[in-house]
Order: sequence, then structure tokens, then C-alpha cells
Amino acid sequence: MKLVQRGAEADIYRTRWLGSEAILKVRKPKKYRNSSLDSQIRRQRTIKESQMLSHAKSLGIPAPLVYFVDVAKSSITMQRIPGRPVHDLSGSRIIRLSRTMGRLAGIMHKNGIMHGDLTTSNFVLSGDSVFVIDFGLSQNSPRQEDHAVDLRLIKEILNSAHAAVMKQAWRNFVSGYRSAVGSTACSQILHLVSEIEGRGRYATVI
Amino acid sequence: MLGLGIESTAHTFSCAIIKERSGRGRILSDVRKIYRPPDGEGIHPREASRHHVENSAAVLSQCLQEAEVSIRDVDMISYAAGPGLGPCLRVGAVVARSLASYYGMPIYPVNHAIGHIELGRMLTGAADPLVLLVSGGHTMLLAFLERQWRVFGETLDITLGQLLDQFGRSLGFASPCGRDVELLASGSSNYVALPYSVKGNDVSFSGLLSAAKPVAKKNRADACYSLQETAFAMITETVERALSFTRKKELMIVGGVAANRRLSAMLGAACKRHKARFCAVPAGYAGDCGSQICWTGMLESRVKKGAKLGDTMVMQSWRLDTVRIDY
Repeated sequence: MKLVQRGAEADIYRTRWLGSEAILKVRKPKKYRNSSLDSQIRRQRTIKESQMLSHAKSLGIPAPLVYFVDVAKSSITMQRIPGRPVHDLSGSRIIRLSRTMGRLAGIMHKNGIMHGDLTTSNFVLSGDSVFVIDFGLSQNSPRQEDHAVDLRLIKEILNSAHAAVMKQAWRNFVSGYRSAVGSTACSQILHLVSEIEGRGRYATVI
Repeated sequence: MLGLGIESTAHTFSCAIIKERSGRGRILSDVRKIYRPPDGEGIHPREASRHHVENSAAVLSQCLQEAEVSIRDVDMISYAAGPGLGPCLRVGAVVARSLASYYGMPIYPVNHAIGHIELGRMLTGAADPLVLLVSGGHTMLLAFLERQWRVFGETLDITLGQLLDQFGRSLGFASPCGRDVELLASGSSNYVALPYSVKGNDVSFSGLLSAAKPVAKKNRADACYSLQETAFAMITETVERALSFTRKKELMIVGGVAANRRLSAMLGAACKRHKARFCAVPAGYAGDCGSQICWTGMLESRVKKGAKLGDTMVMQSWRLDTVRIDY
């Protein structure tokens, strides 16, 4: 098996599953963490991620299909999505794809899924479709506050990693998001987003 | 070029002299006097500012003496203009303004948080790092992009320094008490489960603080240990996320909490996994000090003239990601 990526919390390998191309995502023990905290986090996230992946798929969100879960080893075997993360694409394509990313986020939220790690690295452009990946921090939550946390993260990422295209990308993202959740919910959530931003330290207190 | 820097954002009043030659800085002196509140209490802004007023003259003359320079040799002066406690900030600003107008030196207001970062870069030689700024006033993950430090993650409520201080105070220590908590924690390895709250790249510590207090009633060492393990694991996880997202090859940790050995060990291990260089600021310069302010002012002086005296205000909540950096 070939190691393709060393992610933040898991190692990603390329493998095959019953003849299909697959990836194996293993949450290996982190020695720097207290071992009981470590095993609790790895176990919880593995179970949650596989559940939420299947849930998202059932809503029609393009996401990898889960093939096999090994809780003891904290590993998930899932469909491989060939393509490139939106993070690596050109500014103009990020702007264009932002609407789709917003719409997908909106569909998830409308159905009570908080992704938990909504960054441009976790949207993959494969062919003409945008896939959502990495549900490791996701939760079932109908709370608008949680949905706002998702939006705040992608906004923070656009603002930090894609500063040059931030304005247009964010506008498109919001318009895609609005098309999925409706304008009332959208403006309520955006209001919460600015509330959360205000909680950051020294955020314009005036 | 000889610069004088004055720091007075919170509990520390400090003056430092740095000599710059062909782009490299050398710290000639860095003198500090730290206000200590009574055990179990936090900083009282008025008392801290009084402490600064009473000690400012002595700190300044000792700083010049140790550097073996006269105030007339100094080419420029910088002071920390924020963020921090208003009454404390004003002391440093008054000292800086008086010196600047009397001796006719250019004056530079400096953002305290950027001071932490710039001195860290000078001392560790980090070129393009992901920065973890952890102190009493900040808990932020930053990377430099398009002329500004950009925030990749931060705390949504209290800072890591506040978490340790407030918890330490509830045990009866005087802040800053990160070291006391660390010492007590090293005597335990019994982990009690506490709330772990990572939201994307952001963290939240207030629930952890409330949950840890009752644990301390049963066993103080276990509580300190579990608090540190949980909080540091949260921070390290966001660092790993940011490292893999930004693909930076250096991590620099700055701020008062950088002095904690357990945190350094965990971050060091995380960096190894991502093949990133781990740059920790030497413990003596991790906390607040005049050198941070001095060096940042000197960097600014390369591209900017000194500020007009009328513009040398203090800003209690001056966010570092609003500062444009041209040097």
C-alpha cells in the first residue's frame, strides 16, 4: 500500500477494495497525546465519520462511498475520488466553484449535518463534480450556531489562504448557500457568523 | 542603528536596547520588572500601571547602563501601543513620548503581538513559519500572506494563558501561574476525561476550565495534568491541521505559554510527523519583553518615518491581522 498523504489526523493510503480503487484512512495513535484521550478521540471520529459519510451520500451530496470500517484499528476504507482539492486550483476557478461549495454546504446544513472542517482542501473537483470529503469532525446538528461555525471556518480559510479572491469567492459561496437553505435561514446564519467572529480576541470591540 | 523599545501591555514593564548592523539585530540589554498580584488574584490594571509608573525610571536607566550606551546614542524609540490593558499601555506610551520629544527621536507605535512574532523570527531564524502565538492575551495560529499576518485559527473564548492562569488562581497561585500548574501536573499521570472542543481550526477553552475545577477538589495534580493534556492536545491538533493545510515547513511558537515544556514536547512530536522544523523561542524571550517591541519598531523604521506625536495613541484591542506589513 502506498502512502499518499499524511493528513492532520490520519494517514491516507491507496489501496483496492473488491476490484475498485479505494483509499484507506487510518487514524494512527498519536504518542504525544495521553493514551486514553487518544484512543477515545480516534474511536469516536472513526465511527462518526463513517456514519456521516453514508448519511451525506444518502442526501445526494457527492462524497466517497464507505466500503469497510475497522473500529479496532480506527480505519475506514472508502471510494477513491480522483481529482484535485479546490485549494490547489487557480483563483478564478475557486471563485467559480465557490457557488457549488456553498450550495453543498447548504444542503448538508438543511439536513442537519455540520461538516466541522469546511476548508477548500476538503472539496475535491473530480471531473465536473465537486465532492465533499473528510467528515472526521462532522456532527448531526440542526443548530444554526453549529452551521454558522462551519461558515465561519470556510470564510476564515478564504480570508487567510485565498486572500486575493476572498471577496468574490465568499459572495458566490453565500449565494450558493442561500439557494439551498432559503434567504431567511441564510441571513439568520450569516448574522450568527458575525457574532462568532466578534468572539475572536480583540475583534473590533467598539 | 541603536533602538530603544518599551513594553508595558500587561504585567511586565520592560525596556530593551537593540543594535542593528547590516540587517541583523543584537540585543544589548533587556531589563524587566514584573508586577505580581497577591496569591489567588489576577492583574488589577490600576495596580499594575502604578507598578509600571514607579519602576519605569529605574528600568530605563538600568537598561541603558547594561547596554553601556547613553540615551543620546539612541536613534529611535518604539513602544507597545496595544493590544493590552489601557492604564498599563499608557505608562509605556507616556515614557516613549517624553523621550521622543525631549531628545528629538523618531517614535514608532508597535503592535505587541507582532512584536512576539518578529523577535521570534530574529532569534530562531525562521523564514516563513506557521506561527502559534500562545500567551495571556492571544491564542492564534498565523501565517504570513500578502503583506499581512493571517489568522488560520484562534480561540473563540479565553486564551490558553488565561485558562492556565484562571485555573491556577482557583488553586490559590498568583498569576502568571503557568509554571505552577506545569509543576503540579508533572506529579500526575492519571487522566480524567475533560471536554475537548475543536471547531475546525478554532478552539474553545471555557468549558474545559469549568469542568476542570471540580476535579481539582478531589486531586489537584490530576486536575492540572488532565487540564494540560486536554488543552495542549487541542492546540496540537489545530497546529497539525494548519500545517497540513498550509504545507508550511516550519512551526514557530511564541508567547508566554511557549515556555511550557509539555506543550513544546507535544508540538515537537507533531512537527516531526509533518517533517516540519520546530522553532521555539528561547524561554527567556518567550514572555513579554522590550526587545520584541524594539526589534519590530526597527523593522518598521526601514520603510516608514516615525509617527507624529499626535498619532502616538494606545489601542487596547488592536488586532494583529489589521496591521499591514511593508518591510
